[in-house]
Amino acid sequence: MPRPDNTYDAIIIGAGISGLVCGCYLAKAGMKVLIVEQHDKPGGYCTSFRRQGFTFDAAAHSIGGYKYGHVGRILKDLDIEKKLEIIKIDPSDTIIAPDYKISYWSNITETIKEFQSAFPEEKENIKKFISLLITHDPKFHMNIRSLTFKILLDKYFINEQLKAILSFPLFGNGGLPPSLMSAFLGAKIFQEFLLDGGYYPKGGMQIFSNAFAERFKEFGGELRLSCLANKIKVKDNKTVGVVLENDGFVESKYVVSNCDARQTFLTLIGKNKISHDFLKHIKTMIPSLSGFILYLGMNNKFNKNYLFKAGVNSWFISYYNLETAFRAASTGDFNNIGGYVVHVSPDKKTVFAFMNAPYKNKRYWDSNKKNLMELFIARIESDIIPELSKYIIYKDAATPCTLQRYTLNYKGAAFGWAGTPSQLADHDLKKPSFLKNLYLTGHWTTHGLGIPGVVYVGYDVASSILRRKRE
Amino acid sequence: MSENIEKEIISIISDVSGFDPEEITPDKNLATELEIDSIKAIEITVAIEKKYKISIRDEDVPNITTLTQAVELVTSLLKEKTS
Repeated sequence: MPRPDNTYDAIIIGAGISGLVCGCYLAKAGMKVLIVEQHDKPGGYCTSFRRQGFTFDAAAHSIGGYKYGHVGRILKDLDIEKKLEIIKIDPSDTIIAPDYKISYWSNITETIKEFQSAFPEEKENIKKFISLLITHDPKFHMNIRSLTFKILLDKYFINEQLKAILSFPLFGNGGLPPSLMSAFLGAKIFQEFLLDGGYYPKGGMQIFSNAFAERFKEFGGELRLSCLANKIKVKDNKTVGVVLENDGFVESKYVVSNCDARQTFLTLIGKNKISHDFLKHIKTMIPSLSGFILYLGMNNKFNKNYLFKAGVNSWFISYYNLETAFRAASTGDFNNIGGYVVHVSPDKKTVFAFMNAPYKNKRYWDSNKKNLMELFIARIESDIIPELSKYIIYKDAATPCTLQRYTLNYKGAAFGWAGTPSQLADHDLKKPSFLKNLYLTGHWTTHGLGIPGVVYVGYDVASSILRRKRE
Repeated sequence: MSENIEKEIISIISDVSGFDPEEITPDKNLATELEIDSIKAIEITVAIEKKYKISIRDEDVPNITTLTQAVELVTSLLKEKTS
């Protein structure tokens, strides 16, 4: 029976990577799917923007989990690979600590050797630890579900400097020090970002998101950009559709929210539709830290004079105490920052730098953004790239308020909920048991973070819907 | 009691995996036949702990490979709790 044009099998709110992956699988299976995105481009944190001829990656700046993880498998499965030219940067990451410089190579034996020569007394432990992480043993993952990453590291290592070096990229990629980071998530980030990281779509991160969006349309999906969702309509504890700001009510059996979980429950569904206990639960959950991102456009001389390998994530560690680093980032004590990451684009035309930062309000950032930009540039210049400022012809920065404005993530949170052991794998945040046909996807589900994490969740949510569709 | 527990755990596994409750039979392997990977296993564990207000030891989780084993573990933990 033909049905009215404005009804769908599924509406996905938010065209972040997870929403796009989920949409691709649903549309591929023949469902009629609409993705609505409030921004004018798909990707969420995985977008690029142009200023004065430069292309900048907005937040996500490299891809992991490509060779051994879900990202490569899903690109192949959806037949998206041919739309992309993925380059591998080797080494993917370099850690620059006060006394050490260590790189993560695509040849893991090389990585192990580098760590071993820096910390000979931990030689066997290093081998054991990294070998364990590359085996992807599910038993290991389940054994550490309630531990912190610090407890995991303490089981293997004695040297505190080594532990800090192993933890710092997790702080930068998850916003938590080892004493708070879930060991499970930490191990995942380690596997996906460091031991299988450093992939980059030629042309910038937007190309990656666009490839999923294009494929989604080829599967028959409809993507509406600059289209804000105002409400998720619920009737008899079942979703029935979405109210869009410009297009009114659109009927749909399934609703998948790829946006911020607080907004999903408190605004889109509405406090009156959820139980008091769940409301309390959501309100007591802790979001991850936000970030301050520097975008620099470089002149041609930089290309000749930058002697390090471009495209590498360079992690600069100021000091080894990551608990202090977390406190500095949480309070905005920028004179005392524990470190940051710098990514020179593979074509050496732009520089991206990120540090963890607290939310604070717009007024704070309006009056502090400029100073922090200058402070950040001066730090990079003295720590990593000499005479950096000589080559800059364009500079701008994103504050936590900017991140919130473009993605509507609560408090500009960079990684969804804080990835602590107690905020891990919460079923009600992926498929709330009190509302039929509602799903969440993306890093706010507490099931994964970063591109590899959200790609997996998008695939998993779609599989779950498709299995249930037969009911 | 354990019949009810079985039903409730089937419902949790069904909810997490998307598989129909009828497909979740007592001796099916959770990992290979019902596609329960590590994050889903954690999700199920957390949901069971919340529902029964028990705490499952980390080292017990990997030993649970079927529904029957999950029901046995929950039943014995509930017994411990009341005794």
